[in-house]
Amino acid sequence: MDNNVVDQSKDITILELLDRVLNKGVILTGDIVISVADIDLVYLGVKLMLSSVETMEQLKSGKAIKEIKE
Amino acid sequence: MKEMELMIYAILSLESDSGKLDSILTGIKGISGADLYSVSFNATTAIVSDINRTDLIANSSNAIAYAGVIETLAQQYSLLPMRFGSIMESTGAILRMLERNHPEIEKNLLKVKNKVEFGLKVFCDSEKLKGELIRISEAKTARPPHQTPEPQISVFREYVNKKLEAHKLEEMLLAHVDSVIAGITNHLDQLNAVCKFRKMVTETMIIDAVILLENSLKDPLIHQIEEFQIQFPGLNFVLTGPWPPYNFVETTIK
Repeated sequence: MDNNVVDQSKDITILELLDRVLNKGVILTGDIVISVADIDLVYLGVKLMLSSVETMEQLKSGKAIKEIKE
Repeated sequence: MKEMELMIYAILSLESDSGKLDSILTGIKGISGADLYSVSFNATTAIVSDINRTDLIANSSNAIAYAGVIETLAQQYSLLPMRFGSIMESTGAILRMLERNHPEIEKNLLKVKNKVEFGLKVFCDSEKLKGELIRISEAKTARPPHQTPEPQISVFREYVNKKLEAHKLEEMLLAHVDSVIAGITNHLDQLNAVCKFRKMVTETMIIDAVILLENSLKDPLIHQIEEFQIQFPGLNFVLTGPWPPYNFVETTIK
């Protein structure tokens, strides 16, 4: 398998993980304080995930590899 | 200097053998290398570590460390993963929270008992797929060759027709995605899996799904996804997991 595809697969796993841990799971409210210092990361993570996944698809189909070689 | 507070990673039910949990917690570290320990109300147990709020930054390494603790625990226990950034001021406050939310926590723990989550993303070459759908549609509605040509139409009519065609194409694409989802659901029902679908997430990601199923059914699921890939050669199926059940603990506790 192409190294780029492997790297992109790792990216997907990390970004899927970030999406889950930052956006999902049980939420605490009431007397509990939720502290997320850099909230932008939540949105950044999702955007990165989508672009990363799409890039991997391009790599799989050979489109991106062609573009890189060119 | 601000006092230490407690970061909560997960809640689980410790029905027996607390020694095993202690052993697991000894072997892993929380955010900033902090020791992990448990706070229990009856069997309902929160896994926590001390944290200084000012040290808590929502960056990738902290989020990955947080998820790592949950992942390690999930390999041994059915649990409710907490969202990153869940902090309480003291063990007393956590005990009160566990007591107050005991029925809701138990209900959710039962829902995810011995189950794991998978992510399934389905991609397509949208232009190619649209082209195929147009060809299929045109083949169905092809006019007989002897039919007289349409009279000249105005630019406004042409604009409206183009809009209608685009709308029709979107509807065909959506109908195609629905048929794929129906096929997936039909097969995954046989694995007693619970699925949630999002459609048309991006131009190329036509399905973004999460699947909850029995831990013992991981291999049949993987085999089934391989079958889908054969059944739908124009689509790419990407399966991730197993994950702790992040997407199936839709609860807010107070």
